[in-house]
Amino acid sequence: MELIELKEVSKAYNKVPILEDVNITIEEGDIYGIIGVSGSGKTTLLNLITGFIPPTKGSVLYYSSAVQGPRDLNENLHKMKKHIGFTPQHNSFYPKLTVKENLLHFGNLYGVKRATLISNVKSLLHFTKLFDHRDKLSEHLSGGMRRRLDIACSLVHKPKLLIMDEPTADLDQVLQNEIMYLLQEVNKQGITIVIASHHLDSVENICNKVAIIHEGKVQSHGLIDDVKKPFLKDHFTINLRPGSNKSIVVSSLQRLPVKKIVDRGNQLIIYPSDIQKTVSGLLQFFKEENLYFNDLDIRKPSLIEIFEKITQNK
Amino acid sequence: MKSLLLLTKKNLKLLLRAKASALIVIFAPLLIILILGLSYNTSGPFGLRIGVYSTSFTEDVNSFMASLQEQEFKIVKYEASLNECVEDIKLGFVHTCINVPESLKVDGNTAKEITFYVDPSKINLVYMIQETLKTKFNFKAQQISQEITANILTKLSATKTTLGEKSSLLSSAKEKGLSASTSTESVRATLASLDLALPVNIYNVSVSNTTARITTASSKIEEAITKVSATNLTATEKAAIRALLEDANTKLTSASNNTNDSGSTSLTTIISSLETDLNSAKTKLSTASSTISTTSASLVTATAGLQESVASLDTVLVALNDVQSNLNSITVTDPATIASPLVTKIEKVSPDSTYLNYLFPALLVLVVMFTSLLLGTTLVLMEKNSPAFLRNFFLPLHKVTFIASTYLTTLVLILVQIVIILGVSLFFLHDSLTAIPTIFLILLLAASVFTFLGMGIGYLFTSEETGVLASISLGSILLFLSGVILPLESVSPWLRDLTFFNPYVIAEKLIREVFIFNSPLSMMWVDLLTLLGYVVVLFLLILIAESMLHHNIVNRFMRHHHRQVREKEKLNKTEV
Repeated sequence: MELIELKEVSKAYNKVPILEDVNITIEEGDIYGIIGVSGSGKTTLLNLITGFIPPTKGSVLYYSSAVQGPRDLNENLHKMKKHIGFTPQHNSFYPKLTVKENLLHFGNLYGVKRATLISNVKSLLHFTKLFDHRDKLSEHLSGGMRRRLDIACSLVHKPKLLIMDEPTADLDQVLQNEIMYLLQEVNKQGITIVIASHHLDSVENICNKVAIIHEGKVQSHGLIDDVKKPFLKDHFTINLRPGSNKSIVVSSLQRLPVKKIVDRGNQLIIYPSDIQKTVSGLLQFFKEENLYFNDLDIRKPSLIEIFEKITQNK
Repeated sequence: MKSLLLLTKKNLKLLLRAKASALIVIFAPLLIILILGLSYNTSGPFGLRIGVYSTSFTEDVNSFMASLQEQEFKIVKYEASLNECVEDIKLGFVHTCINVPESLKVDGNTAKEITFYVDPSKINLVYMIQETLKTKFNFKAQQISQEITANILTKLSATKTTLGEKSSLLSSAKEKGLSASTSTESVRATLASLDLALPVNIYNVSVSNTTARITTASSKIEEAITKVSATNLTATEKAAIRALLEDANTKLTSASNNTNDSGSTSLTTIISSLETDLNSAKTKLSTASSTISTTSASLVTATAGLQESVASLDTVLVALNDVQSNLNSITVTDPATIASPLVTKIEKVSPDSTYLNYLFPALLVLVVMFTSLLLGTTLVLMEKNSPAFLRNFFLPLHKVTFIASTYLTTLVLILVQIVIILGVSLFFLHDSLTAIPTIFLILLLAASVFTFLGMGIGYLFTSEETGVLASISLGSILLFLSGVILPLESVSPWLRDLTFFNPYVIAEKLIREVFIFNSPLSMMWVDLLTLLGYVVVLFLLILIAESMLHHNIVNRFMRHHHRQVREKEKLNKTEV
């Protein structure tokens, strides 16, 4: 069921268009990734979805329930805010309040009943692994903890929709993974998530849908598989383990129906004339020779590749 | 040294590149100086409002009022009662109240008393009012004194003229008197020189000779009787003559009998002696007669002179009576009254108290003003610069709630301060307990106004430092134009009326009225409503500011975001 629908949405600042004719639909349960290069307009799109800024043209519709039908977000912003949780790019809590105090503060302001709030806070503290730090001043938390607290603050009122702007920005890989895992867990609780990020691999890992924005326009959007369809590859890639005997692999490949082999160090890009025969032959060779490889990407392009293609083409 | 200069240069650059800081650092002192310059750059008279009360506004009173108006004092007439005027001092409508007697003419030796009422709690103004009015009264007293003196001198001059005019009459009378005196002296001397002594000779006439002679006379009378019979006279006439002759004969016979003495002197001798004496007396009487004639003429002249003299003296007497009545008409004869015909009496509209009592309202408002301004500014800027500020936009709360929360926070802190201050003040000002609830209410309103002003500054500025500087600047301006340091009455007339809308002035006035005069709230409703009006207007302005801030924050957020993007791109390029 739809949750948010952007219809012909455009946004301009000082008559300079930032976004043009955006038409996307976010459904309940989605983890929707908005990707784009810096300055492409993804933060603007996110702000339009939160109601933080009104569109110059078009409308942002919010489906609060199947019965009531869609409502214009900006016209019903005050009511809709209860259903939306927002985590901005930078920490957004009171550093001089403790973890628990921050959660209770925002929960109270969202009008959550006392008993429910205490239960929510407790479960969120456990969920974000901040329980042991609940009485620490927020300014004394580490980077990852702060990010988790930010997410917890956005979830304290149990919103239907969680919107996050660059949730993994400025975090190391471990923390990025930690946050992404957390988001998946949040999504499992039935919360729809919209993420704007330029960490495409992370987005690809957790999002079921994406919208690729470039130069103020949505270039592609929908299920990741659907997005990838136009970009199905005429080649496949094999990533060899470091130290593997690459020349043996190349010579065996040359015996198979292959048009071209591109050597990228431990990665070989192979353009077969018959992909089925080539792949099965290659796998047979590895088995016989007792060789190992890291991975074999047969068909689908990565989001990064698609993204690069789109941005380069444009 | 070089490092020091470099660091200083950097600090200045940073300060000036932050527009708000530069604005406040450069323009705040300029603004303060400009406002104060415009306010106090005047040597004109103090804008005192003087209430004048008199039982009757006679020509004298009106003239006195006109003389006050000449000095550009604003005069307010009170015809109903003096108390009304005194109450207006307490309410600050007038600075002083003068009770002027109907007439300023001094009729007796009692000086006229002018009472003026002052508010001693206006310690920086009360002495100035006293001095200004005393100068004015001294001038008036001098005028009256001159009038009295002129009146006396006019009368003395008239006396002098009269005496001058009448002195010739006195001289003439004197001359005439002298002349009469000389005449009478002359008469006295003449009369004294008259010889009126009578002869004292003894006439010892011989009786025998006398008897003989009487006998002869008797015989001759008998002869006459005989001859009478022979005359042709009627018998009656003859009988009458005969009777007379017989009587004479009888008496001669008797005389002959009496003088029948041998030792008597010759009668002839006696007669001769008598003749001599009589001649002498005749001469003397003749001389006396001529003397009397002469003296009589002198005395007539003297009488005429004396009569003229009496007439002159009558004229002089009339003139002197006039002079006396003229001099009697001078009623002011006491030198002290002539020198000081007007006595000024200063009455205070509140009981004498300590300087702390008088300064207490201003101090209270001062503390509340600066605390509220700074807290309002700081809280808004703290919230604006807080990381959580952006999240607040996504909370389902109205803008009013945020404004009210900041206001309430400030108010709670201010209330704590007020409670402490008022609590401590009770230690010094024991009698003020009853006034505290009202003062509390007024301070609450004042704190609201200043908090909203502070919040307004908070919305205008972006950094806490500049915001605080702006708050202090605003507080300083409000303080300088409050009359606490320099009296508002010395502010330029065109700006003076504006200063009365200064919330500091209103709050201080209200607290003074309650604290010093124990005025009830019902008497101060205009000022209370003004403060309340400020609160409402400022609240609405802040609501607008909050809405504008939302727009501004969105723009700022987007700008910040794009700046970060650019910086990242730059960083990536550098790394490559």
